[in-house]
Amino acid sequence: MEQFDVLVVGSGGAGQRAALEAASREGLRVALITKIYPTRSATAMAQGGINGVLNNVAKEDTIEDHIFDTVKGSDYLGDQDAIEFFISRCPECIKELDYFGAPFSRTNENKIAQRNFGGQAYPRTCYSADKTGHVIEHTLYEQCLKENVHFLQDWYMLDIVKADDGSVGGVVAWNMKEGRVEKIAATAVVIATGGAGRMFWTRTSNPYLSTGDGMAACFRAGCALKDPEMVQFHPTGLGKSGILMSEAVRGEGGYLLNNKGERFMEKYAPSKMELAPRDVVAKAIETEIAEGRGFGGTGLDAYVVADVRHLSKEVILEKLHGIRDLAITFEHADPLVQPIPVRPTCHYSMGGIDVKDFKTCATVVPGLFAAGEAACVSVHGANRLGGNSLADAVVFGKVAGEGAIAYVENNSAKNAEKALNDAANAWEAKFKEVTSRTEGRPIAEIRDEMALAMWNKVGIFREASKMEEALATLNKLIEEYKTCYVGDSNRTFNMAFVNYVEVGSLLTVAKAVVLGALRRKESRGSHLREDFTKRDDANFLNHTLISLGEDGEYQVGQSDVVITRFEPKERTY
Amino acid sequence: MRQITYHIHRYNEGRSYVQTYTFDYEPDRTILWGLQKIKDTIDPSLTFIAACRSAVCGACSIKINGQAMLGCESKIDELAERFGSDEFDIAPIGNFDVIRDLAVDWEAKVNRLKTVAPWIFMKPEYTKTTATRQTPEDFKKFVMNTECILCGCCASECNKLSAGREDFLDPYVYTKANRFVKDSRDDAPMAHVNPAFENGLWKCVHCMNCISRCPKHLKPAKDISELRAVATRAGLSNKGTRHAVAFKQDLMKTGRLNEVTMSLKTDGLVDSAKQGLYAMRLWAHGKINPLELIVPHKPVTGIQGVRTIIKAAEEAEK
Repeated sequence: MEQFDVLVVGSGGAGQRAALEAASREGLRVALITKIYPTRSATAMAQGGINGVLNNVAKEDTIEDHIFDTVKGSDYLGDQDAIEFFISRCPECIKELDYFGAPFSRTNENKIAQRNFGGQAYPRTCYSADKTGHVIEHTLYEQCLKENVHFLQDWYMLDIVKADDGSVGGVVAWNMKEGRVEKIAATAVVIATGGAGRMFWTRTSNPYLSTGDGMAACFRAGCALKDPEMVQFHPTGLGKSGILMSEAVRGEGGYLLNNKGERFMEKYAPSKMELAPRDVVAKAIETEIAEGRGFGGTGLDAYVVADVRHLSKEVILEKLHGIRDLAITFEHADPLVQPIPVRPTCHYSMGGIDVKDFKTCATVVPGLFAAGEAACVSVHGANRLGGNSLADAVVFGKVAGEGAIAYVENNSAKNAEKALNDAANAWEAKFKEVTSRTEGRPIAEIRDEMALAMWNKVGIFREASKMEEALATLNKLIEEYKTCYVGDSNRTFNMAFVNYVEVGSLLTVAKAVVLGALRRKESRGSHLREDFTKRDDANFLNHTLISLGEDGEYQVGQSDVVITRFEPKERTY
Repeated sequence: MRQITYHIHRYNEGRSYVQTYTFDYEPDRTILWGLQKIKDTIDPSLTFIAACRSAVCGACSIKINGQAMLGCESKIDELAERFGSDEFDIAPIGNFDVIRDLAVDWEAKVNRLKTVAPWIFMKPEYTKTTATRQTPEDFKKFVMNTECILCGCCASECNKLSAGREDFLDPYVYTKANRFVKDSRDDAPMAHVNPAFENGLWKCVHCMNCISRCPKHLKPAKDISELRAVATRAGLSNKGTRHAVAFKQDLMKTGRLNEVTMSLKTDGLVDSAKQGLYAMRLWAHGKINPLELIVPHKPVTGIQGVRTIIKAAEEAEK
């Protein structure tokens, strides 16, 4: 059995930042487990940038402005005390990344370059061309190698295990190469496993990895999922594939055009235009398409276009060359000479594991911490600003690392040997049973039916009757999952078994998304109800909490939103 | 109905075999889509790794008809046209240990990467609270190297690695080392150059497969030659640096290579003597003349021009 003081699960920005923090503390035994090589995470796919008030470009920008933009962007669902804490720490965390060697683009004064991003008053999004997440992810990896972080690579977390006193005791994980269940005892566990966008399968910008494993494991361990219905649809996914085309396209001055050649954002956000926040732009695009002003009809193949041809060739080749490559490869469209087909794509889970203390990232389970997209602090509320997710990952990754260190210093290791043994034995038996089945519904079919139901019925526009249908579909799929066909009984690198567990995680979280979306009978941020088109502060200026009851049923609850300085106002751009 | 066929090189628990799968063609699909299609509808046991499907994570590198590529950005339509066939040979990338089917072992590569201290030694004038300063021009000097996605395509058909992995690092490791050497903020370039020098920097066989295979258009072989230049300038000494220095001295002096002194300067007396028989054969064929040891060449006509070019190159290097 492995034994650590701090165990981090997940190797994206939040996970590696947490591990780095914990590893920098003398004498602590720290490990990071990841189901793939550490640099392949969703963080590496983030393109446009990371927000922080550095005043390198806009001297007049203030922390206060960034706080307000984030609160307003969240449609007032973000907790304002947490947002203040978060925004105040962004600049130091970005400077730290720079100090770690992250190659940021530069201003003429040799400082970190900053660009405009949606929903923000000033250019405060720090960037490295259009590969910001990639360079941050690799820089953190370099630092983790330097600090000798112990990577348990190709290990896949199966469950969080609790000690007798209810605090965290460790995790059980599937050692993919060896094909066996491993027990890892840990005094503190940091969950940084990312989002769950794969519940929409291909209509998402997320990697295959974003399967909500940490959310589902924490849910089973007694944490609530907070605001799970808040799913961000990035307005500019590439038309055919849903692959991300960075907000930098809008930030650098690109236009969005309908089939009449109109800059339609004029109607939806007359002052911010294309630089309105993501929820506003996504809604605008879908409205244009629904009303027949898109290209390629009104069905699944419909799209509008992003046009950057009026920008200088230098801007496109220097600042947007990564997405130019993507547009050429995946859309056969060279942005230098033709517009790029775009349509919203599932991008980010604002909701997630309910964090109880934003200053430590602690959850309700003692010793269990959550950070990054897996967590809901909540600083993004109903809509996250572009550039605030990389910031979230590094700020709260560090905070969770600090929180775990403090916890370990004040608490001794709990004896969870029996619980770990029981969990390991149960998963071992489960592996044998599910992989030896010779019939049942193939796991890929279950996954695809889930994705179709989620996209068509719990997508950008939502209404009760369709969501009830989606819920019925999910309940049916959850039953079928119990007897599904996995189709591979080999021990070594059994990806079919990993995919099976992943689809289980997705079903668990998808059901919470639908229940949350049904509860919230209003339209707020990215949650758009066709049957309740207005925001309803009287009844829904509160967080959704979905938890697992002792009877094994989902419980729907709520908690207060923290409002300190900014009273909710109507949100226009 | 048009059919697409993959002949996949599979491996599991010591057994290697090629398995053929055929499925319906769909326009505008990628090789990775085909693999997923097989796993979803024909054979769930087919094992491969993929993550971003947008050519930024580096997970899905495989050999398609013998050439390393990212499965996610390789279009079936384009490859069918290029190779003139709807049948594809799909194998794991080369020079990696295979775990199973198309999944290779990256964990074994981590220590090789760590050889060159792949992290920055930040100059002391910068701190975590001040952040760093860098001119846009200095940023441009190394930013290309930071685009490496660690996909391993450069290593897959590296002829030197195929001949032996012990005394040479994977090409991307040299690219990583050079990323720091070229970063104006790094305070200890030799901390990256020295281990590269000790670990095969002169073993590259210049086949350029790393450059032609890199999906991000990076140039590992160029990084290797840049690192060699830094090593030579820093006075590090091995046969490679001595050869380069002797080469330049000869050109400066006479505009011609003196093959005899070249061997002595590069290999030393003992190693040169060991090649006596080989030297005799070269002499017999008129390739070298031992008299050159005593009677040096006369400078070639136009030696001033040669010297001007060398000086201009030295100037440009500064």
